[in-house]
Amino acid sequence: MPNRRNTSLLALAVAAVLGLSGPAPAAAQQMGGTLNFGRYADSMLLDPVMNENNVDIWILTNLYSGLLRPTDDGAGVVPALAESRSWAPDHLSVTFTLRPGIKFSDGSPITAGDVKWSLDRARNPDNGVWNFMLGSIASIETEGADKVTLKLKNYDPTLEAALATFNASIMPEAAYEAAPGTTEAEKAQAFSEHPVTSGPFTLASWTHGTDMVLKRNPNYYAKDDKGNPLPYLDEVHFEVIPDDATRILKLTSGEIDGTEMVPYSRVGELKKNPALNMELFPSTKITFLNFNSRPTVGDKPNPLADVRVRQALNYALNKEALIKIVTHGVAQPMQSYMATTTPLAMKNGPLYAYDMAKAKALIKEAGLPAGTELHILSLSGNQDFMQIATAAQQMFAPLGIKLVIEQLDKPTIAARQKAHDFQIVVTTWTNDIADPSQLTSYMAYYPLIQSYRGGWQNKEVDALFEESQKEVDPARRAGEYATIQKIYTEAAPIGFLYESPYPVALSKKVNGFVQIPLGNNIFDRTWIGK
Amino acid sequence: MPSGNLVLRRVVQLVPTLFFALLLLFVMVRLLPGGPATAALGDRGTDADIARIEASYGLNRSIAEQFLSYLWQIAHGDLGVSYSLKVPVTELVLQRLPVTLTLTACGSVLALAIAVPLAALAASRRDRTTDLILRGLFQLGLSSPVFYIGILLLTLVAAKTGLFPVGGYGSGFLDNLHHLVLPSFALALNFAAVLFRNLRSAMIEAMDADYVTFAIARGLSPRVVLFGHVLRNALISTVTLFGLNVGWLIGGAVITESVFAIPGVGRLMIDSIFARDYPVIQGLLLVLVLTVSVVFLLTDIVEGLLDPRLNR
Repeated sequence: MPNRRNTSLLALAVAAVLGLSGPAPAAAQQMGGTLNFGRYADSMLLDPVMNENNVDIWILTNLYSGLLRPTDDGAGVVPALAESRSWAPDHLSVTFTLRPGIKFSDGSPITAGDVKWSLDRARNPDNGVWNFMLGSIASIETEGADKVTLKLKNYDPTLEAALATFNASIMPEAAYEAAPGTTEAEKAQAFSEHPVTSGPFTLASWTHGTDMVLKRNPNYYAKDDKGNPLPYLDEVHFEVIPDDATRILKLTSGEIDGTEMVPYSRVGELKKNPALNMELFPSTKITFLNFNSRPTVGDKPNPLADVRVRQALNYALNKEALIKIVTHGVAQPMQSYMATTTPLAMKNGPLYAYDMAKAKALIKEAGLPAGTELHILSLSGNQDFMQIATAAQQMFAPLGIKLVIEQLDKPTIAARQKAHDFQIVVTTWTNDIADPSQLTSYMAYYPLIQSYRGGWQNKEVDALFEESQKEVDPARRAGEYATIQKIYTEAAPIGFLYESPYPVALSKKVNGFVQIPLGNNIFDRTWIGK
Repeated sequence: MPSGNLVLRRVVQLVPTLFFALLLLFVMVRLLPGGPATAALGDRGTDADIARIEASYGLNRSIAEQFLSYLWQIAHGDLGVSYSLKVPVTELVLQRLPVTLTLTACGSVLALAIAVPLAALAASRRDRTTDLILRGLFQLGLSSPVFYIGILLLTLVAAKTGLFPVGGYGSGFLDNLHHLVLPSFALALNFAAVLFRNLRSAMIEAMDADYVTFAIARGLSPRVVLFGHVLRNALISTVTLFGLNVGWLIGGAVITESVFAIPGVGRLMIDSIFARDYPVIQGLLLVLVLTVSVVFLLTDIVEGLLDPRLNR
């Protein structure tokens, strides 16, 4: 055993070697500069409460901060404008304390009054389509300029995640109320064109359909690990370039520094480009076949009402092959109806591994006659969906099922789903909130939209979901979700396909950009190197 | 010169045309499955949210009621507010229409500039090598889709040489024109091919006409015969074709605008139809019917200049 002195010498030597041969310290972040980013579509209404689309949601976090914010892995929350929070022992109220000295982009202070006003507006059932997320709040009280207490109707385990979501953004009451317009919609529109913000950036200019310029908000609260003020960038220029090929060409020719929604077929090629970083950010995006489980569709009997038929279709779907064909290998088979990035999602391996023999046996057991026709709706113009539909056509053929493809536009498909006039729809989903409840309320819980309009209902699942929405004990809530997912998987109300990442291509000089699993593009720690 | 009568007659004719086009479209867009709220919220919209949003647009009223209030609105110069973009339709149209008009105008001028001299050349060298090569090239132009030509131009010209920007519209008039060079060319190529074929055969036909034989017999130079007699007579049908095809050209502009990321009415129209954004669809239709009517009127005037008999 070496003596004490030798040990410390050894330690010094090891440290010296590590210091010399270890990775060089990360290059210092560069302040300033402009990032040019190509978007596939423009935003429509940059109001946290009244918006209805991902093109708004995924940008809004750059303009507004909430009391909390989602972590980069999209699975938890961390403090944002609130410095701390404390729950009452009865779990029926929570008090937030704001960071000292925080300001909006116009220099006015962010007060408890602004927080109360913002959250009251966000939870007003007449405003927008996201108010349900804050539905458990009974009233909001302020104490001084920096304390806000939310009183709840019942304990809500999703509340913290909801407060980290875009619609709970904190906005300036005075500036908003001063915006022209008489209705909420008019005011929201007017204010969103010239907003006063609480996030890393403000809106410098916006030509609808063409470009948008975000400018650094000098009053943004956040700092990096070294205490430097965020954001690093002076400006972000968004250019709207709907055509995939054009967007990529603009990136490779250096006219823009980054772009989103890269088609999977181009990922391999861009990975090989030495000037680019082809990023595949983990996402909550799932792609599945939505089944109608009702006994009849129109006046005709619906074979999909039989769970054995739905299971057979799941076994007949060769997920690995689909992932290769459609996503060029970048996706993962689904392990639950939720993406594995969703908190409490099951991760016990892929569901319904390809097994044609099992599929055939189930079809035989169900007594489905050969030559049975099933109809699948696919979004017109969407290449991925069309590939899935045609692949499914081939994969179902050995079962004696003739799959008829109908290509329709989005509103037509949605209207037919609403009218229950469909058998199968190729569908994708991304979560808006770092919690399993939103997706579950749509997919598995009947009362909201009859399990994604598919009509599948399980009373036990409905009851478990309602329980889980008030569950104080996280372990019990996890248990409830485990049971819901187990029942759902066995009943197969959907054809489980895959979860796929967000493909973002960036110039090598762009650092620190992240698209979190909820889809939000985060530019506050992005910087441009030399 | 055409009489003021022609213009007046056209304006009077325009009113019922507009009314019926509008009525037809007004009813048709509302018959499309899925309304604006369904389009916005997609498959996850709850019934309550969809009903509430559509009521806020006044869509819970009868179609007749909606149409009358729309007429009242446009009589006051108000085209309404876009459901999806939440901005006044007039503002959108004023922002987007000039872009598409500039693009189609540049495309048209370029198409004429390509088609007319080459058609004259091909016609005068009928069935000789020059004619055959030109016909082959234009056949290729005619059968290449606009988006394909667009991507080719972007890849081979813009990205490789850096002489032109890779899509976008830029800011400022000169910058805009710079951005429009390649898209105009993509748009013009198809159109030039149509015009070329028509003009070439019209010129060949005219060359065989008695008055041309007579003009040559009078000892006029081939140049004067070709441009003064043959081209002038052959152009009449080409101008008619040109006018008729402007609607088609605007259709081509839709695709060109998408490939080149140009913010014109074409893209707006497509987006509005997918969004079931009724006020924008209606407003754009009104403006496009007006535009096409003006082009038809101009075509008539030019035809009259080329052939004064048409003015009688």
